[in-house]
Amino acid sequence: MVFYYARLGSINEIFEMVIQKPFCKKLLPLAALLALTISDLPAQPVPGNPGKVVRYDLYVKDTMVNFTGKEKRAIAVNGQIPMPTLTFTEGDTAEIYVHNLLKEETSLHWHGLFLPNKEDGVPNLTQMPIKPGTTHLYRFPVIQHGTHWYHSHSGLQEQIGMYGNFVMLKRREDRTFRKGIDDLPSVPVVLSEWTDYKPENVHRMLHNATDWFALKKNAVQSYAEAAKAGHFKTKLKNEWKRMLAMDVSDVYYDKILMNGKSESVIKEVDGKTLKGGDKLRLRISNGGASSYFWLRYAGGKITVVANDGNDVEPAEVDRLIIAVSETYDIVVTVPADSTAYELLATTEDRTNAGSLYIGNGIRQLISPMPRLKYFEGMKMMNDMMKMNGELDDMGMNMSLNQMDMNVVMYPEITGEEKKKGSHKNEIDMSNDPNRYNANALADIVTLNYAMLKSPEKTTLPDAPVKVLKFELTGNMNRYVWSMDNRVVSEADKILVKKGENLRLIIYNGSMMRHPMHLHGHDFRVLNGHGEYAPLKNIIDIMPMETDTLEFNANVEGDWFFHCHILYHMMSGMGRVFSYQNQQPNPLIPNPRLAQRKLFADDREMHFMFQNDVATNGNDGEMMVQNTRWSIGSEWRLGYNNHHGYETETHIGRYLGKMQWLMPFVGFDWRYRKMGIDEHEKNLFGQTNTKDSRAVISVGINYTLPMLVRFQSEIFTDGIVRLQLMREDIPVTKRLRFAFMVNTDKEYMAGLNYIFTRNFSVRTHYDSDMGFGVGLTFTY
Amino acid sequence: MKSIILMAAVVLLPAMACLSQINNAITETVKVYGNCGMCEDAIEKASNKKKISTTNWSKDSKMAVITYDSKKTTLDAVLKNIALAGYDNQNFLAPDEAYNKLPECCRYDREKKQVAIMIQSVNDTTAPVQNQASHQHGGMNKPAQETNQLKAVFDSYFSLKDALVKTDGSTASLKAKDLQTAINSVKMDKLSMDVHTAWMRVLNDLKEDAEHINGTKDIAHQRDHFMSLSKNIYELIKIAKPAETVYYQFCPMANNGKGANWLSRESGIKNPYYGSQMLACGKTVETISQQQ
Repeated sequence: MVFYYARLGSINEIFEMVIQKPFCKKLLPLAALLALTISDLPAQPVPGNPGKVVRYDLYVKDTMVNFTGKEKRAIAVNGQIPMPTLTFTEGDTAEIYVHNLLKEETSLHWHGLFLPNKEDGVPNLTQMPIKPGTTHLYRFPVIQHGTHWYHSHSGLQEQIGMYGNFVMLKRREDRTFRKGIDDLPSVPVVLSEWTDYKPENVHRMLHNATDWFALKKNAVQSYAEAAKAGHFKTKLKNEWKRMLAMDVSDVYYDKILMNGKSESVIKEVDGKTLKGGDKLRLRISNGGASSYFWLRYAGGKITVVANDGNDVEPAEVDRLIIAVSETYDIVVTVPADSTAYELLATTEDRTNAGSLYIGNGIRQLISPMPRLKYFEGMKMMNDMMKMNGELDDMGMNMSLNQMDMNVVMYPEITGEEKKKGSHKNEIDMSNDPNRYNANALADIVTLNYAMLKSPEKTTLPDAPVKVLKFELTGNMNRYVWSMDNRVVSEADKILVKKGENLRLIIYNGSMMRHPMHLHGHDFRVLNGHGEYAPLKNIIDIMPMETDTLEFNANVEGDWFFHCHILYHMMSGMGRVFSYQNQQPNPLIPNPRLAQRKLFADDREMHFMFQNDVATNGNDGEMMVQNTRWSIGSEWRLGYNNHHGYETETHIGRYLGKMQWLMPFVGFDWRYRKMGIDEHEKNLFGQTNTKDSRAVISVGINYTLPMLVRFQSEIFTDGIVRLQLMREDIPVTKRLRFAFMVNTDKEYMAGLNYIFTRNFSVRTHYDSDMGFGVGLTFTY
Repeated sequence: MKSIILMAAVVLLPAMACLSQINNAITETVKVYGNCGMCEDAIEKASNKKKISTTNWSKDSKMAVITYDSKKTTLDAVLKNIALAGYDNQNFLAPDEAYNKLPECCRYDREKKQVAIMIQSVNDTTAPVQNQASHQHGGMNKPAQETNQLKAVFDSYFSLKDALVKTDGSTASLKAKDLQTAINSVKMDKLSMDVHTAWMRVLNDLKEDAEHINGTKDIAHQRDHFMSLSKNIYELIKIAKPAETVYYQFCPMANNGKGANWLSRESGIKNPYYGSQMLACGKTVETISQQQ
């Protein structure tokens, strides 16, 4: 039985009428608004009435927003951020018309949904991008229930507004309908973050190892700060092991949003005012591009009832962390009348938070999370990191978020930061098997994956099992993220036979946690609950953890499996599962072109530029680089012929997982006026008498302990040069020390004080040009 | 009407010298709870931000005069900071943690804080048990009555233990005060013979230990007294039989390697003698329940 959602249909007719008249163009926003108010109505669940078609019209449009006092570009759908919540009932058919009013391509991915591959919404993989000015129809049957969400899968659009909740209601007569849970009033909540920087710029800065975000978070962890905290040796050891300052997240955000606001109140649900004793189900999805959030509630315990859209046995906790792109359904109680209780979502790095108050009246706050003890974290990393850059779990076999190495940084679990010199009464915990187990260490209960249990059996059909092992790999210094040290464009699709069971064993050997998301399927997480293993479609894997997942390959197509941290995904951290002998996708007319465009994401070159105008000369560098390649040019221009002018250009390729080694070919050009009989002699006794020199070279760059870059180069005129250099030694929060020495008897030492993201003041002494003070511009 | 804004009138005071620092100034007077001069400093410190907001709180009227730059902040934001420092006010209730950290003289009465309504949680099974208990109370069931008599004593013991687990000396001191109150309000004539005997045996020691723990915030001193307190509560609870299962636990390292015991309602170990330093040190040596 099929019928249209009548009111919606008629409004759309009005809308079409409006846009048919050319002089009515100005009414377009108004019409969009009309469509919004209607689309926002939840589809009413009609028992015993399957096969209802529910239609939504989504108008994707550029907009200006002001979250911080500055007007910035964002993308709104039907005039709102987040995108409207789409509501269906299991058994419906979804018809979603996406009208692209942007000047760029877009797409929408239905996160966590079971649907035909061509409706999955991954541009250049399951469909071609939706071109500007066109409309695309997504049409699929709704064959599951639960809290999910949807977002753009094109470029970095997800960061600037393209996320929204997607709720599929359980039918009343469903065998699994849970009284007291599934009939509670519910409110969708989308978490997200906002930065005033353009996401393209954020991405570029990350690839250039910027420390600007650390500076904004007050997490530079410089030598001076380390010394003050009594951790100078820790810092030294950290740099000896070639690590940059560690943090739990990459990007600094200006605002944390819950349903598009950093503070808001839920006073009533379904027209009923909230009062003491009322229970509420919050359908929370993390639509943040790269932030994990801690969820805590001022009104008592949080009861987790579903995860990634799948029911779990109710679990009472004091707090939980929601990984990027996960969803949790939680039940909270309003403990008393005349009070609104704060639900606080704090970023994992604890620099920012958003609040949602639940109830009426005076607002009861929960205490903010205390600042991370970064140097404790650094010490922990030092212990875990081997000299070759691999991690050593010291035999702890970690999985399922049960052991969290980061607890060493959590004051609420492991106590306040110790004052310098007060180590007397400390008890050695280094052999305690529970030293990273938050729930054993403190009297607050933190959710972990081992606590999730499905209320129903989730066993897979009897079928041959194929085991696949993956290692999550990465390199913070160059912001390269991959699986088995291959990015999407470097790896083949993984071929899957329809009907077989796949078991994935994933080890995270990188230094960051990764929320791995599988399209189109739910997987069982083998967490000790046997037949009742929970079903998920995202699994957050912390460094050194190994998790095992399994699923039945039951719907053909090309399915993306990737890290859901947007900037990791765009760097190529993913794979494609492709079913053998499948029908060609009608939405991909030219598969080779599509693949090239898909691969372009992680092949993108990132540009950086730096120039210092100083009293003794002008020097700078410029670089474009991607996953493996680097093309860089340096210049030093004096103000007269005696100081001379020189440039060096290197084209190199980084080798190995840690990318410490880069062989390169180079081209050097120099002009310098030398006096008669004057010549340069290097440490090896080789002389150079020419005023003007243009040579080609080959050489290697190697990152030594202490992050010192060693360069060895031989030129076509036979001259050899060895060089040691480092430019970013963090002396204090804003002060950087740089030095360089080489066998041409050249040397340089300088200090750089960072004022803003783009400008710093630099003073240096250079053996060629002498002492100088200047202004540095960095992009 | 004790806690509403007395003066919500928006006054612009550009001429006043002391406010010349703040542009777009708006001044409002709002209720902020507190007691003493120490509170005054803390409240003003929490809400003063250079060129953005300044507060003047009076300990007599409990009213704060807040001046702020209306383009840079809001009254709500200023009041939130005050609440985060531990002080309830017109718009916000302080986090319990922040309130508990206040110095003793600053612990004002939290008149705005509502008492939670008892509710059943999603997977709660305690409600029927409670019903049963109240039935017993009305009936002639003696052991239940005794448990009720001593319930407050045991409850405050467990709260005290939790504070020690958190290494929170000031909360421990407060909870010891509750324990003293509970001890003093036990009606001995309602106790059965054997429980009465046990009670008389430990009463003086209980009082003394509770008093000592209440009288200090030095966690080491509190833990010393908690050892003998735990021993006596154990003697008592063994005879009186608790309403729910209780675990008698032992950490061999406490008391300078001589070892010490404590009671807990959970089987998992959370050590009150070391707190987070070695939270999981110890084991359960005896399980005490009504069925025994």
